[in-house]
This record gives sequence, structure tokens and C-alpha cells, in this order.
Amino acid sequence: MTDPIVALGNPDNARALIVVFLRGGADGLALVPPVDDDGYQRARPRIAIPATGAIRLSGPFALHPCMAALEPIYREGRLAVVHAAGSDDPTRSHFEAQDRMERAGTGIAGGWLGRWLRADAVVTTGPRSALASVAIGSAAPECLRGAPSVTVMRSFADLDLGADGAWLRAPLDALYAGDGMLGDAATSALRGLDAIATMRSEAYVPAHGAEYGQDDFARGMAQIAQLVKAQVGLRAATLDYPGWDSHFFQGPLIEPMMRSLAATLAAFTLDLGQLLDTTSVVVMSEFGRRVYENSSLGTDHGRGGALLVLGGGTPGGMHCRWPGLEGHVLEGPGDVPVVHDYRDVLAGVLSRCGSSAATAAAFPGWELAPLAV
Amino acid sequence: MPTRRSLLIAVGSAGLLATVGCTPMSSWWLAEGPPMDTPFTPPSGARADLLHHVLDRCSYGIRPGDRAQALALGGSVEEAAHAWIAWQLRPDDIDDSEARRSLRRIPSLTEPIGELYEYREQDLLRQLVQGHSLMAMRSRRQLYEVVVQFWSDHFNIDMSKAECAWLKTADERDVIRRHAFGRFRDLLRASALSPAMLWYLDGRDNRVAAGARPNENYARELLELHTLGVHGGYSQRDVMEVARCLSGWTVRAKNGFKKGTVEFHADAHDDGVKQVLGTTISAGGGARDLDRVLEIVCCHPSTAGHIAGKLCRRFICEDPPDTAIAAVAAEFTASHGDIRATMRRLLARPEFLDPACHGAKLKRPFHFLVSVVRATDARCDAGPATMAYFARMGHAPFQFPTPDGYPDHAHAWRDTLLWRWNLAASAASNRIPGFALDAAGLSRRAGGDDRLMAHLFGRDPDERESGAWRRSGGGERGLAVALASPAFQRC
Repeated sequence: MTDPIVALGNPDNARALIVVFLRGGADGLALVPPVDDDGYQRARPRIAIPATGAIRLSGPFALHPCMAALEPIYREGRLAVVHAAGSDDPTRSHFEAQDRMERAGTGIAGGWLGRWLRADAVVTTGPRSALASVAIGSAAPECLRGAPSVTVMRSFADLDLGADGAWLRAPLDALYAGDGMLGDAATSALRGLDAIATMRSEAYVPAHGAEYGQDDFARGMAQIAQLVKAQVGLRAATLDYPGWDSHFFQGPLIEPMMRSLAATLAAFTLDLGQLLDTTSVVVMSEFGRRVYENSSLGTDHGRGGALLVLGGGTPGGMHCRWPGLEGHVLEGPGDVPVVHDYRDVLAGVLSRCGSSAATAAAFPGWELAPLAV
Repeated sequence: MPTRRSLLIAVGSAGLLATVGCTPMSSWWLAEGPPMDTPFTPPSGARADLLHHVLDRCSYGIRPGDRAQALALGGSVEEAAHAWIAWQLRPDDIDDSEARRSLRRIPSLTEPIGELYEYREQDLLRQLVQGHSLMAMRSRRQLYEVVVQFWSDHFNIDMSKAECAWLKTADERDVIRRHAFGRFRDLLRASALSPAMLWYLDGRDNRVAAGARPNENYARELLELHTLGVHGGYSQRDVMEVARCLSGWTVRAKNGFKKGTVEFHADAHDDGVKQVLGTTISAGGGARDLDRVLEIVCCHPSTAGHIAGKLCRRFICEDPPDTAIAAVAAEFTASHGDIRATMRRLLARPEFLDPACHGAKLKRPFHFLVSVVRATDARCDAGPATMAYFARMGHAPFQFPTPDGYPDHAHAWRDTLLWRWNLAASAASNRIPGFALDAAGLSRRAGGDDRLMAHLFGRDPDERESGAWRRSGGGERGLAVALASPAFQRC
């Protein structure tokens, strides 16, 4: 019997890309605070993370204490952080900024991930998996527009074939055997069915003692981990993490979320083990937040923020030509300028996931200067 | 035996609560449709006959009563097949009021362009897909609906690009549907001046300005995809010359007055002499350059061959014989691009009228889903659950990103089997919101399980197929296996 990956798709396609979108504008200055930047401490007298006791990365940067679970992964060189990253959308509107970022431009058809998948499918020989692109949630995000196919699922229950599906499997196996047009594709689809049946029937036990939390984000990532490990031909998966719009009492609002984000990514890392080397996770948000805290101990919509890249062969480390936070470098009402365009970050990741032609197809009209992340 | 009422309940609240835009969906979609209890006579024999072949190829699926209705048009099976084609080629003579009634609750479909901008983008997409799907499912003008989708692919517009989100509704109505059975020249002209197309292929940005070259996006696709075809014998210079001819045509954007209005700006037009495909277009033509260009490309022999080739691929097989393409192209030329005349010639060709080529085409996912609805006399609201299946199978209408439109060859669609099977199983057991069928009633009406399979396959089931039905346990599961089987994926 052939290797299941070979049967489900090209072996080169074993690489998968997981896109986590923090909706609402996650505060990069909280996730990865520049604790040694005086401008940061001055602008946020009440909510800044103190330099003492912070989890230092490099330069002025530290991890928020609530993100401590990511420290060992960063030290191992499997986590890269890009700061002052973002898009060229100046509107500071959630909708506009998300839209622009996910479509990667205006006046272009489709989303960046959809275009990438379509270009990627062109060079793929042999059957493509029915589960090549999966959106966890109730709708596919804009970035997946134009993908050759998108499976939207809240959970594996959505992939139900009725009862255990066994009654369908045997007859289909018999009917499609030897079919010139569809035989190969049927073999691949039947394997997908088997993988799904296994995932549905067994309570998921993460590997290496990893433990996922009970929140939606953790559950979603656990499902993605299952898809990756089941080797069903997954190329891309998306997962939204909503609720980062922290205008009021930022700490109590986003600290639990940062804990969940870090703990889940750490569990995912442990769970995947070696497979993390071929699985890239990108954590992005539509914009960062204002440098200055507001009167309700929160922060308002800004520009540059932090972007995380986990696994997939990333060299890890901190990547930033930090402009500092002196008044004259801030943009508009007092925002971190965008030094690193998110497309260059994504291009760096995509270059390890597929062909350079596919990377270019994801971002038409943008002269790529991929970041080595 | 489920009654109509128990079926209504079985559909569940999800379907009834589904919404079209802001309009609450009532049970209107369940209340309409043909009676559900009439017996019907499926075809028999070891191979599909001509009538089944013709009905299967020229429609979105054969409903239980369709065969008898066609047989009533003519004497023998062959005569009936020809009579059905002739009937379908005169869509204006086919009363379609029942199907059109299902569109009443979809307000955006009839809105003028200015009003379309008042809608949310996602509502327009949802309503347009729903309208398109409902007509495919319910219209009696089946051949027309199939040809509409052919042109919708040919002049593909992705609603996710720029203002196409608001304008595609008008393009589908005023360009594609209006001219689908008309003259190619009129169709092409309407498309060239369609606000959505001016956005989609950047024609609105094609203007003469100091030091700027024309935007040749539309000009290139006009030659490569819409008319001559990629090997149709044009050069890069022709592309640039066509772009010069079309410069100055633009459409007003949504952030101003008269949004969506198409205009010609003489000051943005390159009014010099041009050479298009060997023909000189003299200076000073202004807006008239457009019609000169369209005349040149419509009359170019490559265009007849390109359109004929695509039509033959759609209706005959993936690799149609040159004889068929040549004959259809000749009719296209002789009739000055009369689409109905061209179709009439195609559907009279021996290459098409060969029942042996039945099953050579893989139904595309949209066709497959609609054929499940039609073949089983299902009620389907074409709502969110239906749209989700289109997306899963990679065939969401009006959302193909590149201008070449959804592909028409099996290779592009083979990898959708998992979701076809899922759809078959979920549909047969009424687990799709907004979708209801009566598996037991269908089998009874057909005269038994084997007869029902004959209805679905156009021939008697073979031993493998009968065995698979039995092995599944029969009933809903048997129907699921039949709908998921290789024979039902083809047409």
C-alpha cells in the first residue's frame, strides 16, 4: 500500500500553512512590549509592562508575562517575532484594514491565501485532497477567497457522512474500482473519509503529553493539529481569534486571551513534534494599537503591530528595524509606524511552503522583499 | 410513508429560519413545485438512449416527469429528442412563470444599478447565487439556463474584485441573460460596456495621459478569452492597439454622483490612427472606435472557431472532433454570430447525437448539486447550506478569481468526490438545511429501486450498482449510494 500522503496528494505538499487572525487589532505593544524603550514606558504610565521581571527576547523587546508559555519555543529558535509590522492601510478601520490585509490590496480578485492555493494547485500533480484548505469557523475568511475549494467546519461533526459512513464506504469502493476518469480520485477521497471517520470516532489524545485548553481557539487549534497529523493533504487552514479590540481596561480583557494564545500555541508545538518542522503557523492582526494609553486604561486603533511565525523551518528570533517610539517617528495620532509590510513577512513563510511562482501569485502588484522569518 | 406535512417538519427549523439578505425566508420554497406523488416511467435497457442523453446534456438534470413530457412532444424516442431540442431553442415560447415566481423574494435581481449600491456586498452575492441556482433548479427553459452559465463563465467576473460586488447583478441580468440566446456581437458589446466588466478588467482605468501607457488588461482578455482565443493569431501590438481604441471608456465609482454610470471621455481617448488585426482604424473615430474593434474581432475567423470549440467542449466532449467544431464555426459565421442558430447546428451534429458518448462528461459541482435536486424532485431553497456546498466543491458561482472562468474539463473537478458523496448522503437523509426529498416516495413512484436507478443513470443498473444499493441497506442509503455513484457524476 502506498504512503497515505502520496495517495492524498503530492508528497511535496506535506507542508501546511496555518493562519491565525487576531480580530479586532491586537496590541503588539502588549504581546511583545519594548520594555526598554523609554518612549513606551512614558506613553503608558499605567498599563506598560515593567522592564523588571519581563521575559527578555532581544533588543528592547520582551514577551508579555502572560505569554510565558512561548518562551522555551522562542529560545529553541522555532518562533519568530516581527515587530512594527502591518499593512499600508491607513484607515484604522477594522473592516477596511482586515479586508485590505486579507485581499492583499484593492482591486484584486480573491484573497492572498486563495490565490496562493490556486497557483499552488496548478503545479500539483496527482489528486488534490478534498481537505486541502480548511477554515475553522462558520464562514471562510476573506483571505481564502478564490481558493480551489474551501471546507468550512466548526468541528469534525460538520464532515459527517451519516452514522459511521461505513455503509457508504464499501459500496463506493466497489463502484469506483477501475473507473478510468474517477478511480484515482475516489481512492484519495476514500482515504480522506477514513481519516475523518477516525478523527470523529476517537476522543482526541494529543501527543507528547500536550494539553489544550477548553476555549474556542484551543479547540480549533486541536482540530487543526488532528488534520495535520492525519495527513489528509491539508495545505492551509485558517482560524480566527476574535476580541482583541481593547479600548477599555485592556489588561483584564486581553491578558486571559494572551494566556490562551500562548498556551495553545505551546500545546500545538508539543503536540505536533517533528511535524511542526513542515507546518508553519502565522499569527497576524489587522493593525496594532496606539502607543499612548487612553483615559480608560485601554488603547485605540493604531498601525504597526507584532506578527508571530511559528514552526515550518523558521529561523526564529526577533526581526525588527525598530524605529523607537519618540514622538517624531510616530505616525498620525501616535502610532507605531509600519516598518515591515506584512506581505513581506508572509512571503518569507510562503517561500518555504510552496513554489516561488505561487508566492508571487499571492501578492500581485507588490514587489516582494521577503523577510527571512 | 412520509406525508408532505411530515416532510415539512423533517426539514427542520434551520432551513425555515435561513434568510435571504434581510428578507426572512418563509416556507414559500416548500409550497411550490410539482406534485410529489405522480408515478413516472424511467428509461430501460443496458445503455442510455438518445432522449436521456439529450436531456442530461442540455439541462441541469432530469426530473421524474421530464422524460414523459419530452415523449409527448414526438413519436419515437429519437423524434422526441429532436422535438425537445427544438422546443428548448425557443425559450420565449416556454411558459416559465412558475420558476420566475421563486425569484420574487430576491429583491436585488431587478434593481437598477443605482439601487444596487444601497445593498450590502454579501447580500448581493448571496441573492445572485440564489437566483441563479433557483432558475437552474426550476426553470423549464433548461437549455437556456445551461447556456447562460456558459456565457457567465466565458465573460467571467469575480464579485470579490472592487465594485463588481455591486455591479455583477446587473451584468448577469443585462448582459449575460439578456443576450445568452441572442447575437454574439450584441453580447460582446454589452459586456464591453458593462460597468462590472469595466471594473473587473480595469477598462475604466484605460485612458490616455501624458507619459502613461494604456491599461491593456481588458484588450488582452477581449482577444485571448472573449473572441479570438489564445492562439487566434493576434500579436502584442494588436493588444496595445485595441487598448488604444477602447481608451476613454470608464464607469463612475461609488463615492460620487451617478455611480455605476458608463461614460466615454473624449479627452482620455487616444484618437490617433490604429491598426487592429491588419485593419486600419482612421484617426478621429472617438467613441466609434469601440464598434470598429468589436466588428473586427467578431468577424475574425478565429472567433468563430474559438466559440465553437468551447461550445462543443461543453456539449459534446472534452476533446471534440474537428469536424464538429468546423461545422459549428461555419454556422456561427454564416448566421453572423446568432447564438441560437449556432446551438441548433451543434445539437444536430452526429457527434452530439450519439448516445454512445453519454457519460463522457463529468458534471461540474454546480451541475451535480442541481441535478440531485431535479432528479429527486427535492425542494431546495438554494440558501446558505447550498452555497456552502458550492464553496466546498470549489464551484461557487460568480466567485472565480481569474477571467478565464471555471474550467470545463474533468481533471479540474475530480477531487471534489468527497463532498459530492457527503452531499449525496446528507441530501438523501434530509440533513441539509433548506433541502428536502422523499426517498421512499421516489422509489415507489419509479416502480422500485432498480427503476429509480434507471431514472438516475438513464439505463438499467448493472450488477455492481444493484449490489451496491442492496449492500448499503437500501432506502435513503440506497439513494445516497446511487447519487454518489460514478454514473450519476457524469452526463
